[in-house]
This record gives sequence, structure tokens and C-alpha cells, in this order.
Amino acid sequence: MSRNSKQWTQKPNLPSTHYADPKIYSDPAIFEEEKEKIFKKVWMLAAHESEVANPHDFRTYEHPGGTRLVIMRGEDMKIRTFYNICPHRGNLLVYEPSGNAKKLVCIFHQWAFDAKGDCVDIPRGKAGYQDRICESDVGLREVKTEVGYGGFVWVNLDDSCAPLSAHIGSALDYMMPELETEPLEVLWYYQATLRTNFKLIHDTNQEFYHDYLHYHNRITGMLDPKSGYFQRRYTAFPNGHASVGSMNVSYDAYTGSGHSALGWPKLPPNGWKLVDLFPCITYNLRTSVLRIDSYIPLGPDRVLLEFRILGLKSDTPEVRKQREKDAATIWSPFGRNLHEDLLASSGQGMAMARGSDPMYVLHAREEDNLIHDEVGMRHYLEEWSAWMGRSSSDSTRKIADSKPQATAPAHQEQDVAQPA
Amino acid sequence: MNTDRTTVEELVYQTCTALDRNDYSEFLGLCDQQFEYKVTAFSPEIRKDMTWLDHNRAEMEELFHTLPKHNSDHAPLTRNAVVYKVSYDNDKKQANVVTALQIFRTNLDGGATQVFAVGKYYDTVSLDQDKPILVKRHVKLDTRDLGWGNHIPI
Repeated sequence: MSRNSKQWTQKPNLPSTHYADPKIYSDPAIFEEEKEKIFKKVWMLAAHESEVANPHDFRTYEHPGGTRLVIMRGEDMKIRTFYNICPHRGNLLVYEPSGNAKKLVCIFHQWAFDAKGDCVDIPRGKAGYQDRICESDVGLREVKTEVGYGGFVWVNLDDSCAPLSAHIGSALDYMMPELETEPLEVLWYYQATLRTNFKLIHDTNQEFYHDYLHYHNRITGMLDPKSGYFQRRYTAFPNGHASVGSMNVSYDAYTGSGHSALGWPKLPPNGWKLVDLFPCITYNLRTSVLRIDSYIPLGPDRVLLEFRILGLKSDTPEVRKQREKDAATIWSPFGRNLHEDLLASSGQGMAMARGSDPMYVLHAREEDNLIHDEVGMRHYLEEWSAWMGRSSSDSTRKIADSKPQATAPAHQEQDVAQPA
Repeated sequence: MNTDRTTVEELVYQTCTALDRNDYSEFLGLCDQQFEYKVTAFSPEIRKDMTWLDHNRAEMEELFHTLPKHNSDHAPLTRNAVVYKVSYDNDKKQANVVTALQIFRTNLDGGATQVFAVGKYYDTVSLDQDKPILVKRHVKLDTRDLGWGNHIPI
């Protein structure tokens, strides 16, 4: 039976944990609050150490808190991160997304900085500033940086944040044997800019009921009783993270899949492990390829998706070629699954745009935490509500102060980046 | 060996119009039995070439065969190609062709058109038969942010 206006917008007769207020996906004020309360406080995955493999390699990152960053490896092999801004007149310090430079030199007035963030040259400094300003006064703003969980570079804009390990907890333990057995290397990096809310695209990694969208996943999993598809189980972890149990993907069922028998060290043949991390990062290890999603919200209805495809640093050119081929079938911009995921979450963004009078969004499937249970999204929004201090099912209702962040112990306030 | 540049150019343009119409059997009819197709892009972020599609003829046939089973927006793509250079290899009886490519996507709803991608075709064309046949196509994309992407080879 169709519904009238009142029926359409009334709250579902379900626990408030089982639906979401559509305003959280489109309201500009809520988005600004997310930047302040979440993204400026939480650890974000910014790069992989293989992207800055050598001393003086640098890599830029557009932090979702709104600040542009530059990640740089020093001669001491330590990876540090700085605001990508010249402290003189506020120009971008680095324009290229990556490179190698002994000094970061601002093109505007040639102020120069080393890989530790120290200012090492102010042209005609003494003549202009006399003794009022010197190099030691104008270093770069350094950002908390750690390297870990597969060699990824994590950053946090909050100087008083707890260590990365306190945020991740045990969520990645399930995948650590595969992540740490050998050094990894990024094979692909690509972006996709979508007109949708970042939480909606992150949902495509947090619920698998949407496998009805993917012919590939239906034929290689859902429709094959031997795959173990319906036995995959969600495990929720503190801080909003969740993992999804492995299965045996039946690649042969997809005609033309061309999927190799390459595999991945420590992962069972045709295995598939996935871990979602709050607020918008996913580790997705599927048989022979690791895909990392890290999303950069640009607005309430706009998001820049970063995708990384990784193999092993020890791969021969032939093995690398095969990993790329395995990844291409489903995950390249022409891949079978990625296009479908991005299309559907963009459709949500369009249909639930501000002013479109959307209904409450259901997250209500309960199947004993098995693969079509929507516990992943419920767990995520519970965490979101804690950080935001407002209910995800009624965005006007304040529930408490935003989630207090543990202050790092004094002995951990020093930089904890690891050598490569 | 037929070294008439016009016939080579017409082959390139015919592959574009066949793909524009989603006429995959016509497209494959212009391709050799040993046809190889590849889409790559260079990433300045990681300073590496990335191979996003790499198929032989049989794999291309399977790809086209499975397309109707997948979900897509079905927005038509329009390829605008300009053949820049044709060079001949007399020993192999082949032409190497460089073609500038712009691809536009037109929304089904409302008909607005946007640039989808720019790049180049690097084609190898056999001239050993009555008419030119496409032996190899390497699409080198400049565009890397392809929005929500696409299932159809470009």
C-alpha cells in the first residue's frame, strides 16, 4: 500500500537503532560538525609507506578535516607529516601529488624547509626581518603520524590524540597475518568523485545484503551453497569497527572471470576477508589483491573516494601483472562490481538530497550477525552518535557530549612513526 | 600491403562508432582473431602505470556477453577520435596508429553531456588482408577520476 505524506515521514515501528534520520546524509550543518568532532580528531589512513619509499620522497594528502597535508620521509627513514602550507604567506608548499626533494621550497618566495619541517632558508631574511623573525620561528606544522597495520601511513590532526593502536584496537587482528607476512606495495591509486554522502558509500562495505546488486557476487557466492557465503559473520569491535568472515569465492562460476590461482600468503585459497574501520576506511583482501578504501568527504553530498590496490613488494613483473588482472575484473573503474557500488550509492545521494523529503533509512535486518544482517551499519552509527553527541535516528536529539578522546600518555606524545 | 592512410583511419573511426552504438559484434568483426586490448593510466600519485583492463579476444567476447547481466546507468558514450599519426612497418605488414581520443557521456535523463575521459589509442593494424584489421589496441588514459565508472571498453 502506498503511503501519504504523514505515513511516509513517520518513524518506523522499530528500535531507534534500526533506522537512520535521512538528515545525517545531507544536512550541511551536520557535515560541518562531522569535520570538527570526528575528522579533526580521528586517525585517517593517508598513504602507504611504499609511496614514500626513499629518503626525501613526499606525497600529498587532502585531509577530510579540511587541511592539505604533505607526507615526507626523512634521511633518518622516519615518515613525518606537515601542513602543506608555507608559513610565510599561506601558499601551497607542494603542488605535485608526489615526488622527491631534499628541501620543500615554496615557489612564491623560495622559503625552504627540510624533511623534519625545519625552515632552512629565508631569502634575504636578515635584510627584511632583522632579528624579529628567524628560521627557527617559522617551521612547518607537524601532524601526528604513525605507520602500521600493513605499512600504512596514518595521520591525526589532534596533537593530544591517543595512539593509533587505541583507535584500531583488535579490529585488524583477524587480517594481520596476511598484512604483515611480507612488505606490501601499492599497484594502483585512483580516485572517484561522487555526489553522495561518505557514510552511504561506506555502507556498501558495511552490508552485504546489497550483493543482489552484483551479478558477480551472486554467481560466485550467494548462489553457490559450497562457498560458505551465508555463513560469513560480522564481528563488531570497539570504536565502530567491524569485520566480515571469509568465504570461498567460486570464481569459475563467472564466465570469463579469468581469475588466477595466485592467492595471497596466509589467506586460504579463494578467501575473502574484510574489515571496516571508523569513520570511512576499509581493508578488503580478496583472494590475490588487497584493496584499501579511504574516503575524503568534501561536503554533505560530495565525497572523494581514494582506492588503493596492493600486491606484495616481492612480486615479479609477471605476478604483478596477474594481480592487476585479478583486480581489474571487479575493482578497476571498468570493473564489474565497483561501477555498480558507485552507481548505487550515488543514486542514494541523488534520491536523498537535501529538500527531497526522504524517509527514515532502514538498517533493520537481523540474521544472527550473518552476512545479510545489517549490524555493521547499526554498530557504525552507534559510534557516529557517540562522536557527534547526537542521535543518528533523530538528528535533532542531543544524547551526550561528543565522545571524549583519551589523551595520549606522556611517554607516547613523542612521534611514533616507524622506520621502513 | 595496402598503405592507404584513409582505410586505416576509417578502421579506427569505425571501431569508435561500433562501440558508440554498443554493437559489439561489429566491433569484434573489425578485430583480428589474435586481438589484444588494454587500458592503462599513469598515476602521478604513485608514479606507476596501472593496467585497468587487459584482455585477449576471447576475454573481450566474454566481457561483452556478460554486460547485460550487470547493472549500469546505460548512459551512452560518444567517442571523438582524431588520427594523429600512421606509421608503417613493411616487414610486419602493419601500421602503428596514434589517435587522440575524447569520450563524452550523455545522461539518459535530460541529455546533458559531460566529458568522461580523454586519452589516446595506440593501435596496431594488420595490412596483410583485403582490408585493415585491428590487431592490438592500447588505450592510454589521461583521465583517472572516472566518477562512478563504466563497464564498457572504451
